[in-house]
Parts: sequence; C-alpha cells; structure tokens
Amino acid sequence: MLERSKAIKRHAREYFATNGIGADEQTRITLFLQGVKSVNAAILARVEFQPFEWLPYKFLHNQYFKEVELSTLIGKATSWSTNPFVYLDATNLNLTLWQKVGGAKFMSGTLQADATFYEYLALSHAFMSDIRFLPLLPPTMPLDTPFLIALHDIEEENGRQIQTQIRLLKEMRVDLDYQEKERIIEEQRVIVNELFDRLLAEVTGFDKAAARQATH
Amino acid sequence: MPVFRYQNRQDVYYELYGEDGAPVVSIVNGLSMRTSHWAPYFKLLPQAGVRVLSYDLLGQGQSSKPILGVSFEDHARILKALHDHLGIERPYVMGISFGGVVVLKYGLLFPDAISGLIPVSTFSELDPQLTAHAYNLYVGLARVGFGFYLDLLMPLNFTNDFLAKSADSLQVVRRLGVTSNELYGIQNLMESLRDFKSMTAELPRIAVPTLILNGEYDALTPRHLHDIIRRGIANSRLAIIPRMAHAFTLEVPVLVARLLAEFVHSVEDGSWRGDQSVWIANEDPAAAQSMRPYPPGDHLRYVPVPAEQAPAAKPAGPAKRAAARRKAVSRPPAKSGDTPPTKAVKRKARTRTAG
Repeated sequence: MLERSKAIKRHAREYFATNGIGADEQTRITLFLQGVKSVNAAILARVEFQPFEWLPYKFLHNQYFKEVELSTLIGKATSWSTNPFVYLDATNLNLTLWQKVGGAKFMSGTLQADATFYEYLALSHAFMSDIRFLPLLPPTMPLDTPFLIALHDIEEENGRQIQTQIRLLKEMRVDLDYQEKERIIEEQRVIVNELFDRLLAEVTGFDKAAARQATH
Repeated sequence: MPVFRYQNRQDVYYELYGEDGAPVVSIVNGLSMRTSHWAPYFKLLPQAGVRVLSYDLLGQGQSSKPILGVSFEDHARILKALHDHLGIERPYVMGISFGGVVVLKYGLLFPDAISGLIPVSTFSELDPQLTAHAYNLYVGLARVGFGFYLDLLMPLNFTNDFLAKSADSLQVVRRLGVTSNELYGIQNLMESLRDFKSMTAELPRIAVPTLILNGEYDALTPRHLHDIIRRGIANSRLAIIPRMAHAFTLEVPVLVARLLAEFVHSVEDGSWRGDQSVWIANEDPAAAQSMRPYPPGDHLRYVPVPAEQAPAAKPAGPAKRAAARRKAVSRPPAKSGDTPPTKAVKRKARTRTAG
C-alpha cells in the first residue's frame, strides 16, 4: 500500500509538471478540499456549545471559522470545469470521505477529553498535514494564478491551525496510553492518505497509466 | 531506498558511501536538512579514503515523522542502532547545529563506541542570545509559517557572497524547503530541546579525539559556544572556517571534506594531538596546509587583541588535569599537512586551560 501511495505521488508530480492544473483538476481538488473542510467545520460547529472557559475553545472556535473562510476562498479562486463527469466523480469521493472518516460519530454528545475527541484531533491533524498539493508541483512553477495562490494560502494557514491539534494531541490529559495514542494517530493518517491518494489517482489517471505501462 | 526499521515502529532513511573497511564518518543533520544536502561529501570523502553515512533524523527528510515527537536522547540512540544495524564499529560522528548537539550526546552515551567526534556550528548550552534565536525560530515556524522560518534562517546560515550569488535560485530553494519538510516534524525536533539541560559540565567525560568546527561569522552559534566545548573536552581542537556563516558545510564542501578526512586519518595513524589548541582553516582547499595555528591574541574577539592584553581564560578543572596527563604522555609527531602548533599557541592553550 505504501509503495502504491509513493507511485501515485510520483505520477502526480510528473502529471502536474507536464499538464499543469487545468479546470478539471482544479475542480476536483477544490471539491475535495471543500469536502475535507466541511467535515472538519461540521465537527467544529459543536465546539460552539462548549463553555468559553474550556481551554481549547478559543483555538477551535478560530479554526471553525477559518475552515469556512478557506473553503469559500478556494471556491472563488477556482476555474470550474464544464464536464459533468468531473462533478460525479467528486461527489462519489466525497461520499466515501464522509463514510471513511466516520464523520457522524464525532457529532453526537458533548465534547470531552476522551478517545473519540482524541480520534477527531488525529483526523484533523491528518487533514491539515497530509493533504498537501504544493509538494506535488515543480518548485519552479510560479504560484501566480488565483487558484495556486489560494492553494498556497490554505497550506500555509493549515500550518498555523494545526498548532491546536499538535498541542492537544501531545498534552491533553486523556485516558489513553502512549501506544494507544500512536495507534489512533496512525489509523487516522492511513484513512486520510488513502482518500488523498484516491483523489490524486483519479485526477491524474494513475491506474490507466499504470495499466498502459504494464502492457508495454 | 535504504531504510532501517527502528524498534519496528519508525523508518530511518540512510545512505552509505565508500569502501568497506575504511573508517566511517556518520553525519547528523541540522534542522530542516536532509541527506541530499551532503551529496558533495558522498564523493569527496570516499575519494579521501573515508566512508560516509548520512541519514535523515526522525521528523525530516525521508524518515518517519512521529506526530507525538521524539525525545532528544532518542536521536543518539537511533543513530547507535543504525550503526549496529550496519555493522559500523567505532565511527567518527559528525553533526551540524542541532546535529552537533546530538553528536555531543552520542559521545556521552556511547563513549566506547566511537573513534572521534566532530561537532560543527553547535552548542553544549543555550545562552541568552541562542535562546532568543531559538524562540524566534520556533514562533516564526508555528505562528507565521515554514517559509518564514526559512527566511529567518537564510541570513544566519549563509554568507553575503553566497546569498548574492544564489539570488536567482533562492526562491526555488525556499520552495523546496517548504514542500519537502513537514512543519510538525521540524517543530517536534525543536520541541525535543524544550527540556534541554546544559551538557557543558559533562563535556570533560568525552575523551575521544574531537575536532570542533565553527564559521568565523556564525551569528547563530558564535565562537564562544564552540570555545566552551573546546575548553570542556581535553582531547579537542577548535578550527575556525574563515568568513563563513552557520551552514558553511553547504558553502565550502571541498574544504570541509578535507578537514574531516585529515582529522580521521590523523586519529587512525596516531598523529592526532588533542591539545585544545585553536586553528584557522586555509580558505584555499588545495593549499599545502589545511590549517594554521590561530595567532597569539584573544580568539573570541572580532577585533584583534594583542596576546599580552588578552584576558586570562576561565579555569577548566577537568581539562587542566587532562592536559597535564597528555603532557606526560609522549605523542607521535603530527603528520604532514597538519602543522604542529607554535610555541605561542601551545602557551596560549595552556594559559586558557590553566586559567
């Protein structure tokens, strides 16, 4: 699985270096990012029911609104595709996104320092650290289109927003031992990486390219 | 891709070059460095008869990036495990900046498993200025972004000449730096120093040959921090790399590779003399002599200070005793290309250690 993931990212680098990021690719990327941010924002909306004195409140409150802001920003900056199949594929992936991350389980009851909240923190950490498009672009490609500028802004902002997740994952008092914490973090990273790889594979035609290579 | 699986949990990416049987220099990276930064050394050192091992610290490059972090001591333990895995006995361990601190810790944890140490652009204790730099870098990284962290480092790492010559490519280098690192991985490395306790008092326990390298204009880890290491380790020498800043290993690889190879060979053939003397590297890497003794005067000052006006150095008890022991032991003459210190320098070294 790891080798496939590396091969997908290698292929994506080659693909974007050769083809750039056109309207179809922008649309798929934006809809995926908006899907990810809507999962996070929907969970974070529950934070608004927490007391102001709850230590993480201020940070998660900030993240909630920032996620909505970034989601609309990338939407405004996107050259939208006119191909209906692009939207069909994107919808399929976003349905899988909600299923795989188990978004519903984070939306009942009140937030407290327990394993479920820890799982959410690990999931949102993976959202913000593992879904990165800029490393897949040639370092010489100018970031001078509205879409690329917005993508850059999102990834830079993710570095600031993730500070809340980093602090809580490391320091929050929760009834989990170190190994359990590591296991939860790894599980969430695997889920997010699989979704990201699927997006990249679909956008760049990885499986078709791999099949072509196999027949030659 | 050569990967060592540590404790069945973390992958450590490494590269090893050179012929079996040759002495090995293991290189420990600084923050936001990766194995490929040492590419020139992968040719230069084997050409000089030295094997070179480079690896990515956990948290950077192609190694695993544990989200919950790594304890500072673990960095040295992981390197030891990598050495054991590769069957490397008694390597020379070199490290720059953060990696230099790992080197000192390695020397303290595994004194019988090393042939020599090469701490470069580094420190054994955090003084107020370095603490402030570390704070600025950390806050820049966490609150502004990885790009800004690199922007803060750029003028500290490189000389004016290098920055001017590289102006066209710096934006690409910066982009690569941002995209090839994970912010949280670098942040974890920085946080592993959060509970850092000074190692200065422990330095006298390091008995192996130690060559300390410091750029003349290193404003991040300036001369006095290297001098603390020199004074603490009896079997040491301090070499100053003229006109260089913090990351001089990237700017003058030919010169540094030569210094490393000469150090290794001098220890191997028994001609090394760790006398706490101070040296200046020759800027011409092809010069007959790679280093010359620091002239009489205070080597900690930016302005020249005549020897007779130089302040007496602070006492260094254990180093003084070690110096006395060394004096009693006759040593083989220095090999060619390694000029013995002048009497003045020997005197100065004694003065500094004896206080």
